[in-house]
Amino acid sequence: MDYFALLAINGLVIGLIYALMAAGLTLIFSVLKVVNFGHGTLYMLGGYASYYAITYLGVPPPAGVVLAMVALFAFGVVFERLVLHPMYTNKVERKDEYAIIVTFGLTVLLLNLGIVVFGPFSKSPPPFLAGALIAGPLIITYDRLIAAIAAIVLLSALSWFLARTSLGQALDAVSQSRESAAVIGINPRRMYTVAFGLGSALAAGAGALIAPIFALSPNMGELPAVQAFIIIVLGGMGSVGGSIVGGILLGVVEGLGVGFFPDPNRALAYTEAFGALLLVFTLLVRPTGLFGRPHARLE
Amino acid sequence: MTRSHAVQAVLLIAALALPAWAGPYWVHVGAIAWYYALLASSWALLAGYAGQFSFAHVAFAALGGYASALLSLHFGIPPGIGVVAGIVLAMVAGALIGWLVLRLTGPYLALFTLALSEIFRLMLVAEQQLTRGSLGLQVPGWFGGESDRPYYYFGLSLLVAALLLMAGLLRTRVGLFLRAIRDDEGAARAAGVNTTLYKILVFVVTSGLAGLAGTYYGPFVGILTPSMVILPEMGLVIAMAVIGGIESLPGAAVGAVIVYGLSELTREYGQWRFVLLGLALILVQRFAQNGIFAVLERPLLRPPAVEAERGRG
Amino acid sequence: MDKGRRDFVRGAGLVGLGVAASGPFPSRAWAAEPIPLGWVGPLSPPGNYSGGQEMKWAVQLKADEINKAGGILDRPIEVFYEDTKGQPAEGSAAAVRLITQNHVAALFGEFHSSVALAEIDVAHKYGVPWIGTDVWADQITALHYPEVFRVSPANSLIYLKVANWIADRGFKHVAILAENSDFGQGGAKVVADIYKQRGVDHNVVTVELNQQDFTPALLRLMNASPRPDLLEMVVAGQAQYQIVKQACQLGFAPTAKTAMIGSSGLLQKEVWEVDGECAKNLLVVDVAMPKAHWNDQARAFVENFQKRYGRAPTGVAMEAYDTLGVLAAGIAKAGSTDGKAIIKALESIHYTGVHGSYSFSDKTDPPWAYHQFMDVPFMVIQYTEMNQTPEAAAILFPKDWATTDKILPEK
Repeated sequence: MDYFALLAINGLVIGLIYALMAAGLTLIFSVLKVVNFGHGTLYMLGGYASYYAITYLGVPPPAGVVLAMVALFAFGVVFERLVLHPMYTNKVERKDEYAIIVTFGLTVLLLNLGIVVFGPFSKSPPPFLAGALIAGPLIITYDRLIAAIAAIVLLSALSWFLARTSLGQALDAVSQSRESAAVIGINPRRMYTVAFGLGSALAAGAGALIAPIFALSPNMGELPAVQAFIIIVLGGMGSVGGSIVGGILLGVVEGLGVGFFPDPNRALAYTEAFGALLLVFTLLVRPTGLFGRPHARLE
Repeated sequence: MTRSHAVQAVLLIAALALPAWAGPYWVHVGAIAWYYALLASSWALLAGYAGQFSFAHVAFAALGGYASALLSLHFGIPPGIGVVAGIVLAMVAGALIGWLVLRLTGPYLALFTLALSEIFRLMLVAEQQLTRGSLGLQVPGWFGGESDRPYYYFGLSLLVAALLLMAGLLRTRVGLFLRAIRDDEGAARAAGVNTTLYKILVFVVTSGLAGLAGTYYGPFVGILTPSMVILPEMGLVIAMAVIGGIESLPGAAVGAVIVYGLSELTREYGQWRFVLLGLALILVQRFAQNGIFAVLERPLLRPPAVEAERGRG
Repeated sequence: MDKGRRDFVRGAGLVGLGVAASGPFPSRAWAAEPIPLGWVGPLSPPGNYSGGQEMKWAVQLKADEINKAGGILDRPIEVFYEDTKGQPAEGSAAAVRLITQNHVAALFGEFHSSVALAEIDVAHKYGVPWIGTDVWADQITALHYPEVFRVSPANSLIYLKVANWIADRGFKHVAILAENSDFGQGGAKVVADIYKQRGVDHNVVTVELNQQDFTPALLRLMNASPRPDLLEMVVAGQAQYQIVKQACQLGFAPTAKTAMIGSSGLLQKEVWEVDGECAKNLLVVDVAMPKAHWNDQARAFVENFQKRYGRAPTGVAMEAYDTLGVLAAGIAKAGSTDGKAIIKALESIHYTGVHGSYSFSDKTDPPWAYHQFMDVPFMVIQYTEMNQTPEAAAILFPKDWATTDKILPEK
């Protein structure tokens, strides 16, 4: 029982961190109707941005996280303006495919640029707080706990922002119907830019929070990106609440999968397969995810 | 004979003549490029024509390659029959996946196939008593001797045969139906097109071709590893098809040859060449969505269906 | 066609012309006729690019030194570097390119055994000598290709001794974490066989290299009954950093109850940045000599490497440095750049490098011994303080070099 609880709690914590990563992806999807295949590299850039801010500018770790988010917000805005922008005109015929290809191109570009610029050796910023919380059989390191709490705070702030501020409501309006939003005087194009910037910033936040838990390397985003895809499908693309549920579900399923897979020798090698299997079954049963609104093609 | 055919004939003759004046290294590069060209052109049919944006295409190549190698290894089946078995298996798996994804569209389809491809890769890694895991499965070569020329010509003939097969298929009503499904599935169904049949058919054909590519790749390189299914490999195939022109099968094949050849020519720039590849992918998509080939030879390499549609519009 | 598109096309056309101009023509003849040599190794993912980079640096250092000293056979050497990305197909293409385009006299390097296996097929086909720098799979030399030599250990050469030492130390329940590569699985098999003979209870857990969260698997091991008293990693890459950190944070290992042993990746200074306190008390299999036994060459190499690249070299860098050294000595001895002559010279070579005195075995029993450097120096060390360099760490094995016989923390 202790063992089960231990795995479940560990899965819950890691799942919350994944959820933060997925929230940015889902925000971009709900407003732009674009799956950002470059999300993993934005997460990587966030991790490095915070690392350099902490080690070279000497700011305290929490400020490093904030700076990384600001930097990636700016990056997201520029990328959206330069590359995604033509999608909303008639120049682009097949928008789903266009988006998949350009964001995938961004991944190839940034991953390799990362190796050139950041170098091949692992880096790690200092921990937020060293040590671990030990309560009976439960052991959670403070870094994980802090990251999970920060994820809850950021996700709550995001929900609040979307529900309570005028900019957030404008984003939500565009995500539901860009035509109606345009009618009531919201410029959808501005909202696309804002949403992509915010989504990038959330990815950066996740990268910066995870940096002290797992070390930094240019290809650190590959695996979490796949996890985030799984989460947004589980949670239904475009739902922030859904991505929280999806994140926790994924974390717990993977943890328990490894813990209880009959053959211990292969359990670890199959970790990612548990999540991928979850995605496959979810899509077979519900082609638009667990809590998804029907997917409208971007026209 | 149209100008389009003339261009293709010139390219084919150049490919046939290349080993006569290029060194053995370029023969080797060419032989690998045919593998990518097979994948890129069949993926262009799947994604460009039929709109089935699958991320599992390289997994089918691995399936064909591994299946034929394992059958020969464990059951002593002669390579020729092993190859056929590998391709048939890829087609059966393609039919199954084509059927599974019937209700999925756009990004959901992409993510579903990505997940399947990852599960398959992890199985190749984890089931090492069968596949030898990441150690890689060594595959005996088909042709002895020092030269890669037999592979070069064999791969080239496979590519030409595959392009002819796909072009033939598209020249029938299938091509028109596929585009109709891609552009508006509901309307196509309303017009009486059996969308289920054609969607599964296109998966069967393209998966079989990917499987064929895999059965050719293994004996040539001498080793199959799970890393042939990683996402960056799929990304490379997508990049090739997009840069060459996703709506033109010969264009995609040429794109594969250009991208692979360029990446070999620019080896001395190390990591920067992949940076450039990413940049090229974004720029081509941003400024020339039908691929650089279609822009350079605008009217020449367009499939007839597109041509007709443009004519009407 | 709008203007942007037209500009792009023009650009693409120019690139095309450039390609055509530098296209696939036979390579040019050298005016100064340096001796071309080909280095292969991973410099980008999915390969272990940090290990590859370190190897490349060491080779560059050696190449410059050789040329400064007048080259070999009165000719300078020129090393062509090829990135194999840890992919067998890339490795075989790189080998073909180096041999047929650059006309290299020999190939050397490599970090991944599966890639090495693809490369040696090419080398064998063309009769070009190939010397492996850090590839451990037994099979590489066990194929008995005359062209293939190895300066790094074979899995059996080292893990046999390490496993026996572990059994001697009285460990009873060993959990082996093995990466899913030829190196990891091959090493784990050698180790497991010894444990079986010696009656040591063990199990093997396969590790996927790009994994980041090992906590569930570690929890499973930690809660197994009986709890392992040794966690043994047969993992080359930087995944080890994560395993160490997470095992330590769980209070699992390295502790008095469960010791932890890993391999060469843990020798890079990043281990202290990533793992911090957690790396203290870690045991590491170090393919190097103790500092006290270094020769002048080794001392000079470490100093020069540090000066040029701003970081201390690990044993892998030393192997890479020696690989080029032994190859150059072979060419000098052969008196020619002919493949057969070089192979013949290497078979009877005696060369002193930073790792000691090199010669290659001609025995075929055990099969991996053929063309293998049998006297690879290695030791088991334990970090006893934060930010310790491997040279300053405590040495537990072999007995002749040992500075202590206590594994910390004591039970």
